[in-house]
Parts: sequence; structure tokens; C-alpha cells
Amino acid sequence: MPDSSPVAHRHARQVQKNMQQGTIVSFTTVRHPPAGFPVQPRVIALITLDDASMILAPITSGAPMIGARVFPRMQLSRINENHLRLYDIAFEVLTPKSVPLDVSFPGYLLALTGPSGVGKTTISRQLVSMFATHTENVPILTTRKPKKGDDGEYKYISKKEFEIMRARGEIVAAVDLPSRSEERSYGYLATDIEAIWHKGMLPVVITEMHLLESLAMHYGRRSILSFGLLPPGRSKRAMLSALLHRLRTRGRETEEAMQDRLQNAERDLAFFKEREDLFDHLITNDNLDSVMALFQQKVPSLQEA
Amino acid sequence: MQKSAILGFGRYLPRNRIRIRDIAEQWSQEGLVMEKTLGIAEKTVPGHGEDTFTMAFEAATQAINISTLASSEISACFVGSESHPYAVKPTSGMLVSALTLHPFSHAADLEFACKAGTAGMQIVDSFIRSGQIEAGLAIGSDTAQARPGDALEYTAAAGAAAFVMGSAKSKHAIASMDRTLSFTTDTPDFWRANGEEYPSHAGRFTGEPGYFHHVKTALEAILETAHVSVSDIDHVILHMPNVKFPQQVLKSFGFKKEQWEHGFIVPTIGNTYSACSPLGLTYVLEQAKRNQTILLVSYGSGSGADAFLLTMLKDGKPLPVDEREKQYISYADYAVSE
Amino acid sequence: MNSPIFLTGYGQTKFGEWWDKGLRDLAEEAMTAAITNANIPSTAVDMIIVGNMIGELGSDQAHLGSLVSSLLPHHPPALRVEAACASGSVALHTACALLESNRAKTVLVLGAEKMTDASTEAIAAALMGAADSEKDRPSGLTFPGIFGLIAARYMHEYGLTREDLSLVSAVHHRQAVENPFAQFRSEISPEHISCSSPISDPLRLLDCSPITDGAAACILSTTCQSSIRIAASQLATDTLSISDRPSITSFTATQKAFQEALQEAGITRDDIACLETHDCFSIAAVINMEDLGFAECGEGIEIYRKIFENPEASPFAVNRSGGLKACGHPVGATGIKQVIDTAKYLKTTNTRFGAAHNFGGAGATCCLHILEHTAL
Repeated sequence: MPDSSPVAHRHARQVQKNMQQGTIVSFTTVRHPPAGFPVQPRVIALITLDDASMILAPITSGAPMIGARVFPRMQLSRINENHLRLYDIAFEVLTPKSVPLDVSFPGYLLALTGPSGVGKTTISRQLVSMFATHTENVPILTTRKPKKGDDGEYKYISKKEFEIMRARGEIVAAVDLPSRSEERSYGYLATDIEAIWHKGMLPVVITEMHLLESLAMHYGRRSILSFGLLPPGRSKRAMLSALLHRLRTRGRETEEAMQDRLQNAERDLAFFKEREDLFDHLITNDNLDSVMALFQQKVPSLQEA
Repeated sequence: MQKSAILGFGRYLPRNRIRIRDIAEQWSQEGLVMEKTLGIAEKTVPGHGEDTFTMAFEAATQAINISTLASSEISACFVGSESHPYAVKPTSGMLVSALTLHPFSHAADLEFACKAGTAGMQIVDSFIRSGQIEAGLAIGSDTAQARPGDALEYTAAAGAAAFVMGSAKSKHAIASMDRTLSFTTDTPDFWRANGEEYPSHAGRFTGEPGYFHHVKTALEAILETAHVSVSDIDHVILHMPNVKFPQQVLKSFGFKKEQWEHGFIVPTIGNTYSACSPLGLTYVLEQAKRNQTILLVSYGSGSGADAFLLTMLKDGKPLPVDEREKQYISYADYAVSE
Repeated sequence: MNSPIFLTGYGQTKFGEWWDKGLRDLAEEAMTAAITNANIPSTAVDMIIVGNMIGELGSDQAHLGSLVSSLLPHHPPALRVEAACASGSVALHTACALLESNRAKTVLVLGAEKMTDASTEAIAAALMGAADSEKDRPSGLTFPGIFGLIAARYMHEYGLTREDLSLVSAVHHRQAVENPFAQFRSEISPEHISCSSPISDPLRLLDCSPITDGAAACILSTTCQSSIRIAASQLATDTLSISDRPSITSFTATQKAFQEALQEAGITRDDIACLETHDCFSIAAVINMEDLGFAECGEGIEIYRKIFENPEASPFAVNRSGGLKACGHPVGATGIKQVIDTAKYLKTTNTRFGAAHNFGGAGATCCLHILEHTAL
């Protein structure tokens, strides 16, 4: 490319979208960089970003390794012959946190995402009971008060405790959801997930869109086998009415709360389309047995079960 | 007029460090003696590809994250530095684009030696109080230059601090900016002419007529106009060109260790010029408790001092830990890194 | 093919650094050699296709169709094609299309490249045009860098060692000893290759094909018969940047082009007696063996190991000419030179089918030709 202003200007526009963490696919040290670049050897990596796109970029510090996690930085790439400073993205290698293991573990998570009422809890319960030696549910940490109908899927803590754990980095994915009654935070503890891996089992997480995104950012998209759960129905209207029916049958909330959930459900359904990249499979939950059969087919850890 | 407040803050320090004793030994001075005299152990050094813009970008990104605002809600960016990458082409403009601030943003670069960062805070404060903007960014960032072999070489360091400011009534408000004043003169203590690579300074003249006169005058003035005494202040941060100068001022006013220790960062970072006292403020904001009072007085050669009184509106929270390991470099690598 | 396309004649310059020959001189030399070899009057040429990549940046010269055509008294219609390092084979492919459609009956296909008139930096920058300017260049990558990434990943996936990789260039150099047109004709040991200066880890200097001047020409005709016919000509394309591919340790364009070519020729790979394959970097040769289906994934090196240990033991000839590494790689000429070397091998050994595998960039364009030799 000519080393000109229009070229630099167009390139600068896409630097923002690449400011994500990622994983090194391969790297090389170019001993003699091209004219215009600083004279010393340049480490360049092919990186898979957490949104599953790939980028070629320099590694600015840290010892690169295939599979290492990297963190984005803004860097002065070079100064052109007209003294224009060209900035670009570069990546630092994160010092790996060693997870001491004496048991080989699946190394991935099974995530179930879907609108309220679609049956995530029922499905995850059934899954864990059918494949009890291979899977375990990850408790959801929450600051909301226990409700009638809750059945052991949550760990309840105070907002203050949540914030302390969050600041300490003990929570791997967190979301703060405002609602009519109270602002509630949800998340998962790194130790809960790692404990399941230590046992050689597959952690099953029930998520919503923000938590799923955060999990993908933290562990890497490829570490999540992500299932989107859809209510039965061909049209969106049919799906929403199926959800409403389920919510009413569940009898766990007020009419007002259900309207909240329905609004969120519309947004959740749109999310499946907008963020196709975050889902490996979309499953319609109309029949528990067929859903279980599908899991057995599509989840590597369950295929030997 | 409503008050402004800090809604988010962030900082960036390069991971490279050089030990003061290694610089001293280069010039055949006794390393440990120099360290003891200066009271500084090491300073930050910009890494390959780091400059005032990249550091400001990182600090501002963190500040925006802490504020939980969307970047497009911020419509002003004022950056103070003595080492803007260009003489003409503003760092603030590059940041508006790189941070995806609101396209209709006010932006300009500032220079007033080491107080350019706090000058930015004063400008954003008044934009908010006048209702001209909802939220703005004030940044101090520098990759300080020092002539090899000059005394300043031991202290001139690199770093950036950024503040997202908005209304004190916002639920994200961390500390309100209650009062600010400035004291300005023309004093030739330290300068760098256009085209010169390194600054010049007037030796001991930088002390009494420079730093001490301006910092003390501004400090006295703000305490008086606010009807506040030294004992009312929970945290004090002064500009730190070295260890001795600020310590002398603190002692003369009777400040106690608990009041100044949280923001006294120069011993392990060095003097980051326009980022210096703002960086000290970021450390205080992490640890101060609700309702505590903070006094900040910065100093810029040429000369002037900006003084601020802030009140914490909620307990401080620590910034995310920087997990990168510090990397100590040799004098040879330090000399080449420009 | 509708009517058979014959390789009526061929000729090339020696490949090397030619300080006293410019692009026009090289083209003229190869063209004259080919016309003489074909034993036809020059006026029998009714069309010229030129394959060239960096004429503009290396010699300030575009418009090579006209330049080459002007060298013949009757100025036949001419055009130039470009597909990076596959320019030569793509020129042949274009000629086949024009011959099949009867737009021409005898086509001169000429590949030429002048790489020593501009500075090495300028040439390296020009060669990066074979990659993605927006996605691959800004990070400071060079072409050896792109293949360095590929080699590092391949070694990670399959455990290929540095010592293994050095067998490739060692084999190519040994085989070029017999080739009077090659740039380098002396043997180099694998140890020497392993110790050559690092260019883009893990690739070293002697893993990389050189900068070379040269030209090669073929005359394809539907009327002037010969013992060599083009049995297949297939073109396949992949993404320009390796950052847009699911895997960087195999090239789907090669797989596709070869599959289609075998089908077009109506043969299987066991019928192939000799192969000229595109070894722009040693790791490419290893990957090519797998993509062409002559080895399983991760085992491409075994073919080279066999040839290195006992040249006669190999089931088929690979890069007998010395490949790009030892012959040199004047970019636009390589694809044509590969076909020439395949034809020569088939004739001297009296074997039937040979394949010439040429690709551009990081396997972004692959053009494959299968030749059939029938003794007249």
C-alpha cells in the first residue's frame, strides 16, 4: 500500500474492533522486517480473537507460545518518511496461570443459553442426571434474594461480597441486570468451574447473553461448546407465546415480572441471530428425550457415555 | 451551578523499569548513595512502540471502563503533556477517534510543563459545571526527556493517568470536585525551546522561586478560601519532581504520614511530568473512604500551580491488577529507547 | 479438452542473476529458444500470453503483452496475466482456454521475471503483493514470515523437526546438479541448511527460494502435433490472507486443483511418473505432498526422506529439476519452466504422465497441469 494518509486513515478505523483478547495460533520472528519498519527482529503472530476472527499482529512483549493468551495494546507501529506516526494494535502475552492438574480434563465448558422459560434449568438437570459421571452443573452466583421455586442452582451472596470477589478476579463472568425491583448481579466462580475440571468432568453452565460473551472472552470462544435453546414455534410470535405459557405454568413470578421476562425474551431471540458466532448449535426444546439425544450426539465428552 | 465529579479513573505505566543505581554507575557515581540521596529506587521507561498517545489510550480505556459509561457518552478530551507525539496534530484528536468518543467532542492539547494534566481537569470541570457537556476526559501523559548525564535523568519517567468526569449527581460519581484554583507567574526555572530535544533548567533556582513559591501559595490559598485546615484533609497529593521537594512542603504545613503516603508514588515510578500528581490521585482514589477529603496541588514549570479539593462520594475500589511483570533494562537499552 | 493441445516446443534462459540482461532480453531469449525448438516459423504464432508478476515494480514496465509481441515481426495479439507466483501456469491455462475455443491455433506462452534491477527491499515489498495488503502487511510481515508462521504451526501440529525440514532443500540441490538451467548446481548438506542464517523462525536462508532473473516459454498448439499433450489444466483459488482460513497447514486450492486435474485427465495419482511441485519454501514442499495426496497429513516429509536416503527408491520423481529452491524462482517463469521440466523427464524416461503444480501467494491460487507423453 502506498504509505499515505488515506491508507493510514482507513486502517486506523478497524483497530478498535480488534482490541480483544485472543489466543496465539502460530508465531514467527521476522529477522529482517520490511523497509519502513524499525530495524530489529519483529515477532509476528497469527491470533484467534475471542470473537473467533483471526488477525496477524506483532507481539510486543512476553514470551510467545502456541496456545498462549494475549492482550491487546495500542502501539506506535512505525513513522513513515513524511514523519506521520502510524499506530496499530499489538499484543502482549499474558503470563499463563498454571492450573495444577493431575487428572486430564475436558478443558471446555458446555453452555446453555436461552430466554427465560425455555427450559434451561430442566434441561441442565436432566443432562447432569443422565450423565452424572461426566457432567456437573456450575452454580450461578447471584446477589438477588432467594425466590420460591429456586432449587439449588444458585449460590446467594451479598452485593458487597460480589464486588469484592469481582475486584479480586475470582468471578470469571459477571453481569449486572437492572430490573423493576432490584439490580441483580450474576456470575460464576473460577474455582467452581476449575473444581469440576479437576474431577475430569464437564462443567455445564446456564447463561444469558452477557455471561456467555464474558465466558467467551475469559476462556476463549473455542473453550465453550455453546448451545442456544429455542422455544418451539415457527414464528417469533409463536415462540414468545410458547414462552409465556411456560412462564405462567411455572407459577414462579408475578404478571409484572413475566412481562419483563417476555421483553427480555424478544431480545434474547434476536441475540441468537446477531451473535451467531457465539453459538455452536441452536436446539429447539420441544421434547426432552430428543434434546438429550442431540446432546449425546454433539458433545464429545458424552459420546463415550 | 452543579459540581463536577470523577466518574472513572485509570492509569498506564510501561512495564520497563531502570534502577537509579544503574544510571548512576553509568556516570561513575555511586549507585546506592545516589539512590539514598534521591530517595528514588527505580523509574519507568517507555517500551518499544509506546508514546504519550498509546499510554493515554490505555489509561483512558481503563477510566472509561471504571466509569461504566459508553465511550460515546463522553464529548470532551483534553490531554496535557510535554511530549505530545506531534507539534501539530493533536493527541486529543487521535484519542477521540481511537476511544470512539462522541464525534461531536471538544478536544485540544495542553502544555504547561508538569501541570498540563491538571489544567485539563480544570477545563473539563468547567465544561461540566456550565452544562456544556455531560461527561469529559482529562488526561495527563508523558514520556519525559532528560539530557544524558543531567540530574533530571534520574527522575524523568513515563506514564499516563486519565479521569472521566461528569456530574457530581451521577450515580457513578466517585469523588466530587469541590473547588479548584490556580496561581500563575512567569518564572524561568525549566524550559524546552522548539526544536530542542532536551529541556534546560536553572539548577537551584527551580526550588524556592519555582516549586516552593507556587505550591505553597496555591496550597495556602485553597485552604483559606475553602475555610479548611490541614487536619481536615484526609489525603494530600503534591507534584513530585523528586522526594525532597514535596516532603519539604508537607512538613512545613504539618501534614502527617497517613495523609500523604497513599499518593506518594515517586520513589518507585519517578517523575512522570504531566501525569505525576494525577497518577498519585489514582492511587488515592483506590483507597480513600466515603466522605474523606482529598487535596491535590500540582506544579508546572514556567510557572504555575493548580490546587483542588475533592470529596469522596463512595468508598474507593482498587483498579484491576496489572498482571504484567516489571522488566528491568540496562542503561544501554535505556539510552537506545527513544 | 475438445481437440488435443500439444506442447509443440519449449525453451528457457538459464535462471540466475543476469546483470547484463533486462526483462526484454530475457523474454526474447526464451521465446527464440522455444520457437527454434518447435521448429515452426515465428509467424505461425497467432497469439502470445505473458505471465509476469512484478514488471511494474521491478522494471517500471506494465503492458508486457505488447512488449513481447513487438519482438516478433508480425506482432501477434498478446496479453499478460498475473496470479503472483502462479502467473506462469495461469498463462498456460489461459492459452488452453483460447485454444479450446478456437480463438487461436498456436499460442506462445512466455513467463519472464526481472528481479535484480530494483533493490532487494523493493523486490521483497513487491512480492508481498502476493499476500493481502490490508490484512497481512500492516503487522510487518514478509513472505518468509508468512511461511514461517505456516512452518511453526506445522511443526506444532505434526512434530516435524528442524533436521527433517533440512532434507527438502538438500534433495532439491542434489537433483539440480544435473540441470544446466538451474541457478545453483552444487549439493548442500542438511546440516549446512540447518545452520544457515535465520530468516523467519523456524525458516532459515536455505529454506527459501532465491531472487532470480529468468524466462521460459512454451508453444501450445492444436495443429502442430508433438509427443506431449496437455491432458489437464485446472485452476483453483483460496482466500488471499492466511488469516481467513480455518487451517494454515494445508492448501485447499492445491487439493481441489489436483482432484479436478486427475479427473480431467482421466487418471489416478498412481499414474503420475513425475511431479514438479511449488517449493517456494521448504515447508511448502512438505505440505504439497500431503495436499496432492501422495502422503498422509503429517507425513509429507517421508517422501523427501526416502529420496534423500535412496534416490532410486522413490515411487515417482519429485522436483528432479531441483525445484524452485535450486533452479531459482523468477516468479512469472516458474510455472512454465515446471511444465518444460516435466516434458523433458517424460521424454527422456519414456514415461506417460507427469504433473506440474504451481501456486501463487500462500496457496491462494493453484494451477495444475498434467502432461501426457505418447511416443510418436
